[in-house]
Amino acid sequence: MRFLALLKKEFRECLPWLLIAAIAFLVLGGLALRLMIQSGSTFSYPYRLPPGSAISTFRLTVHSPLITTGVWLFFISIVLGLALGIRQFFLPHFSRTWGFTIHRSINKLTILCAKLFVAAIAFIISLGIVWMVIYWYASLPEILPFPPEPRLFMEGWILIAMGFTVYLGTALAGLNKARWYTTKVFPLAFVLVIIVTTVSQWKLSTAFAVMLIGSLILLSQIIHTFLNREF
Amino acid sequence: MKETVLETYGLTKYYGGTLALDHMDLKIPRGCICGFVGRNAAGKTTAIKLMLGLLKPTDGSAKLLGCDSQNLTPAIRQRIGYVTEGHRLFRWMSIANLEKFQRAFFPKQWDDSFFAEMIEYFELPKNKKIKHLSNGQRAQVSLALALAPNPELLVMDDPTLGLDAAIRRQFLEGMIQLIMQQGRTVFFSSHILGDVERVSDRIVVIDKGVIRADCSLEQFREAVKKVKLSFSDCPPARLDIEGLLYCRRSEKELELILIGTDDEKIKQWADSAAAIKYSIVKMNLEDQFIEFTAPPNHKKLFQWEKN
Repeated sequence: MRFLALLKKEFRECLPWLLIAAIAFLVLGGLALRLMIQSGSTFSYPYRLPPGSAISTFRLTVHSPLITTGVWLFFISIVLGLALGIRQFFLPHFSRTWGFTIHRSINKLTILCAKLFVAAIAFIISLGIVWMVIYWYASLPEILPFPPEPRLFMEGWILIAMGFTVYLGTALAGLNKARWYTTKVFPLAFVLVIIVTTVSQWKLSTAFAVMLIGSLILLSQIIHTFLNREF
Repeated sequence: MKETVLETYGLTKYYGGTLALDHMDLKIPRGCICGFVGRNAAGKTTAIKLMLGLLKPTDGSAKLLGCDSQNLTPAIRQRIGYVTEGHRLFRWMSIANLEKFQRAFFPKQWDDSFFAEMIEYFELPKNKKIKHLSNGQRAQVSLALALAPNPELLVMDDPTLGLDAAIRRQFLEGMIQLIMQQGRTVFFSSHILGDVERVSDRIVVIDKGVIRADCSLEQFREAVKKVKLSFSDCPPARLDIEGLLYCRRSEKELELILIGTDDEKIKQWADSAAAIKYSIVKMNLEDQFIEFTAPPNHKKLFQWEKN
């Protein structure tokens, strides 16, 4: 009941951002897809095979709509990560509501879990579901002559995960009570390193592993900071 | 002997190199209404946040309802009501939403009828959002939210700050409702002495992070005295009177602030110092507090005060 009350509160606070992101991605991504289907342009996609393979690289011809949509997905996912992080971890500091939030008959970790859980759900609902809808639409036989590559679908999810990593970085920056601004935003610099490293990976599994390890480091720091910081 | 519900041992807090609270020792027994008074930046909010485990002490410790403040369990927090400074609540929630939210954390204790009574008493619109309420109304919602779960200990950080006189009175009357319930302990900080005088039975004075007085209100009222002495010539240089806090000198006058000196001793000293006239100035609690916490040679605020 207490956790549910916290979830409701967090969800209500994140709802505007969740809706804006979902609508923005649906409109911009859908529009990009529609325009590109009409123009019929394609995109030559470089594909690298594991070392030792008979063919080292080849170029896959795909329809650019999903690439264009992916750019929007990347951009909106990062903005959503920043917005949710600021809403959940910067705003209580500015509005001085931490005291009211923390003095509850529930342990601190549960309060943090409610925040993180709602943010993860927000990413899945707003971007994940819309991405699935767009991909499903593009996969319909009558829409494109070449069916979209399943790898693209997974890459979309990695872009969504990148947004969640940005959220974790913003959360840690919000919780960090460092006196110097540069120190305070250091977690975001770490996120930038994770994103650059992830993007430079050819193998999806490696990209996912980089993202996972980076996120776990951020998560452990968030838990440690939240349990030990002063409010 | 009454059970102690709030106690601190050498509670100390530094913010970087700035000392905010200096070895605070305090024991508040059950059923006590304690006014925690001090000027701005005296260390009141720091002390309260340390007691509630929202800040970490540099040294010392605090216990609330027998539990270390740094490890307050959810069960203990459930027995403590807290009214934050400035009545910071979730601005987007309506009063009804906040009630629902708060009730979830006190499933067994929450008193629906008491909350409804308080909302009605304060004439608050239940469906109005917090961001649309005035400062005073937010204070009233804050108090109702803190009182409805029937807390054993109510801790309030400057609850009447920024409220007009009428709202303040209404707020204090709401507080008195709780006080009338036996066994409830209230610890509230304030710099409005009238409020403290109205509801407290004990006063703790903090100044620059140091506890300067911890006694009953009557004891404080009796202890702090201002004496004016007139002399035919220069006042004596040596002031060997018991309980002297500080003095102000003018050409032929002395103004002494004394702590705990009885009237007979004042008379004897005035005679021995050859004062031609002496009088004990009547002070209200606010005057006493100001004199008690004023620096010995406080600076003039404006140039024209020189005359």
